[in-house]
Amino acid sequence: MTAEHLYRTVRLIRRFEERAMDFVRSGEIVGGIHPYVGQEAIAAGVCAALRPDDVITSTHRGHGHVLAKGVDPARMLAELMGRENGLNRGRGGSMHAADFGLGILGANAIVGAAGSIATGAAWAYQRQGKDVVAVSFFGDGAMNEGMLLEAFNLAVLWRVPVVFVCENNGYATTMPVRSAVAGSITGRARAFGMPAFTVDGQDPEKVLAATTAAVSRARSGRGPTFLECTTYRFDAHHTFEHRARLNYRSTEELSTGRSRDPVEIQGERLAADVRAAVDAEIEALLDAAAGVALGGAHPDPAAALEFLYASPEVNR
Amino acid sequence: MSESVPGLTPEVFAPVEAPVSPPQASEEVEFVQLLTPEGERVEHPDYSFDLDDEAIKGFYRDMTLVRRIDTEATALQRQGELGLWASLLGQEAAQIGSGRALNSKDMVFPTYREHGVAFCQGVNPLNLLGLFRGVDQGAWDPRDNNFHLYTIVIGAQTLHATGYAMGQQRDHAVGDPETGEATIAYFGDGASSQGDVNEAFIYASVFNAPVVFFCQNNQWAISEPIDRQTRIPLYQRAAGFGFPGVRVDGNDVLATYAVTQQALKRAREGSGPTLVEAYTYRMGAHTTSDDPTKYRLSEDLEYWKLKDPIERVKAYLARQAGVDHNFFDEVEAEADKVAAELRQGCLAMPDPELTDFFQYAYVDMPDELAEQRDQYAAYAASFNAEGEG
Repeated sequence: MTAEHLYRTVRLIRRFEERAMDFVRSGEIVGGIHPYVGQEAIAAGVCAALRPDDVITSTHRGHGHVLAKGVDPARMLAELMGRENGLNRGRGGSMHAADFGLGILGANAIVGAAGSIATGAAWAYQRQGKDVVAVSFFGDGAMNEGMLLEAFNLAVLWRVPVVFVCENNGYATTMPVRSAVAGSITGRARAFGMPAFTVDGQDPEKVLAATTAAVSRARSGRGPTFLECTTYRFDAHHTFEHRARLNYRSTEELSTGRSRDPVEIQGERLAADVRAAVDAEIEALLDAAAGVALGGAHPDPAAALEFLYASPEVNR
Repeated sequence: MSESVPGLTPEVFAPVEAPVSPPQASEEVEFVQLLTPEGERVEHPDYSFDLDDEAIKGFYRDMTLVRRIDTEATALQRQGELGLWASLLGQEAAQIGSGRALNSKDMVFPTYREHGVAFCQGVNPLNLLGLFRGVDQGAWDPRDNNFHLYTIVIGAQTLHATGYAMGQQRDHAVGDPETGEATIAYFGDGASSQGDVNEAFIYASVFNAPVVFFCQNNQWAISEPIDRQTRIPLYQRAAGFGFPGVRVDGNDVLATYAVTQQALKRAREGSGPTLVEAYTYRMGAHTTSDDPTKYRLSEDLEYWKLKDPIERVKAYLARQAGVDHNFFDEVEAEADKVAAELRQGCLAMPDPELTDFFQYAYVDMPDELAEQRDQYAAYAASFNAEGEG
């Protein structure tokens, strides 16, 4: 069941992203997206270790995280298209998906910023006597952001129930991790006294096992854990790369990097007929999602300022 | 791994070292020490002090004069002659030891408490007082003494220092341990929690910049004790950023000199940054606006009095080096003279024209600002008119 659940999640994310990229090409999604293709095992494994009331913060590359946390693909797709029936009524778009009911405190386009938000949220739960755990996703590039390191220090000092998940996909946009991160990624976390581990981020089951341990540590009051999930971004940093070749990765590297595909790794653990059934189910789900999204109304331009403030008076 | 984490298996995880708690004041702390609080010289496998007793007498003089300057400035503040003063009491060895290790081409980026380093660099102490008296905004030229202006924003100068050091690198002034240049950035334990400082660590490490990060851990970030600031000893932070860190007895001027000199040499020869944690204690208040009796125990102070940086050098010179009382008396007399001149100079500083302050922000004053200046001048003049009438 777990194997099938994990496969369903990675497959859903993969196909969602592939279809979203098609909608970028066809112009239904304006402005492009940061595809999560190749990194699906991390979102799937981490979120499978969480309770529904646990919370996450996400990144500019966040579709996978929110789908794994339970967002309806139809509403997410509508959000990407800027429609009124989107997750955030089309105002958030690709990089700001939020659903507090599902424990999604928001994707955040500012690199590393959500680490402080997750730490603050988890600290609040701790002070309220709740056993809710927060997970913050971020990338290797965020490891060099001072505010994330401030969050590490406070989380360790106050034993905050937060799990820091670093998706090390090797590149901060085009900057290779070896040129940008001094020392090592786990060493950086240990420099603040935080237990830090490296996990195979292409294998959903390994990510699930590691996160389960880290979450149990957080929930039992023993403080934060840092997980470096090693992975590879199969596609572009952003879909603009489809038009502008940046030539920072060789074809050899790409083919090696793509050789460990989380969808295949997890798919091979299922019987062929089970896998085929899941695949068909997901295509049907996404067909329906596309229909719902494309059928959604565009927001009224006159309403552009709505939802910024609780009081509508402020908007006038 | 000392903390057991259920479910963690070796194939999933690489091993991790357990976090270490920071030492408490009452515990024995591991650090580089070459002169004990009792004034005994001791050896260290990695660091040695190679200068003669004349140099140690010089350090004694430096520390005594600087303490006297500091005491006088505190008194001047209490008498209403300065707006504020940040006392360095207790941190003289950390500052003189590191300051005397600098070469003439090295550059210093201080906090607002580096009066001892300023002294070593030849900055007139009266200039420091001008800032705290409010008659100017830091009236020394950083280029005159390779001593940047005091930085009030906690930790911000570590970025300035790293940028300057990267400039030295690009000027090809780095690479030779004898003639190369280095930069030293001073900051405190509180600043270690600032994202800015951590970003400075990253840049310095990635670019191998010739910078020494000199952290005076005086145990207190205003009223926040160090054990609420970090879970691991500060010098160990550096390992997470890919460069070496070392902790030195910050109340031992010989060890501070030796450790800083080695770190500067590393920087000058192009081997990159070092973090030096000078383990010391702020004997006075954070600033004259602070009252430490509200948040710390007197027994802490008593414990640290026994580790006084000047007394141990005096004990060494008197007992081991055969220095007689004439020397100490001369230094005392010189200190009193310096203090008297400082007081005289401070009281003689001309009051600034308040309208002058408008002219320091821009090279060419914008019209709006000129308007504001004129409005202010008219407003200020209205008091005179009333008084006369």
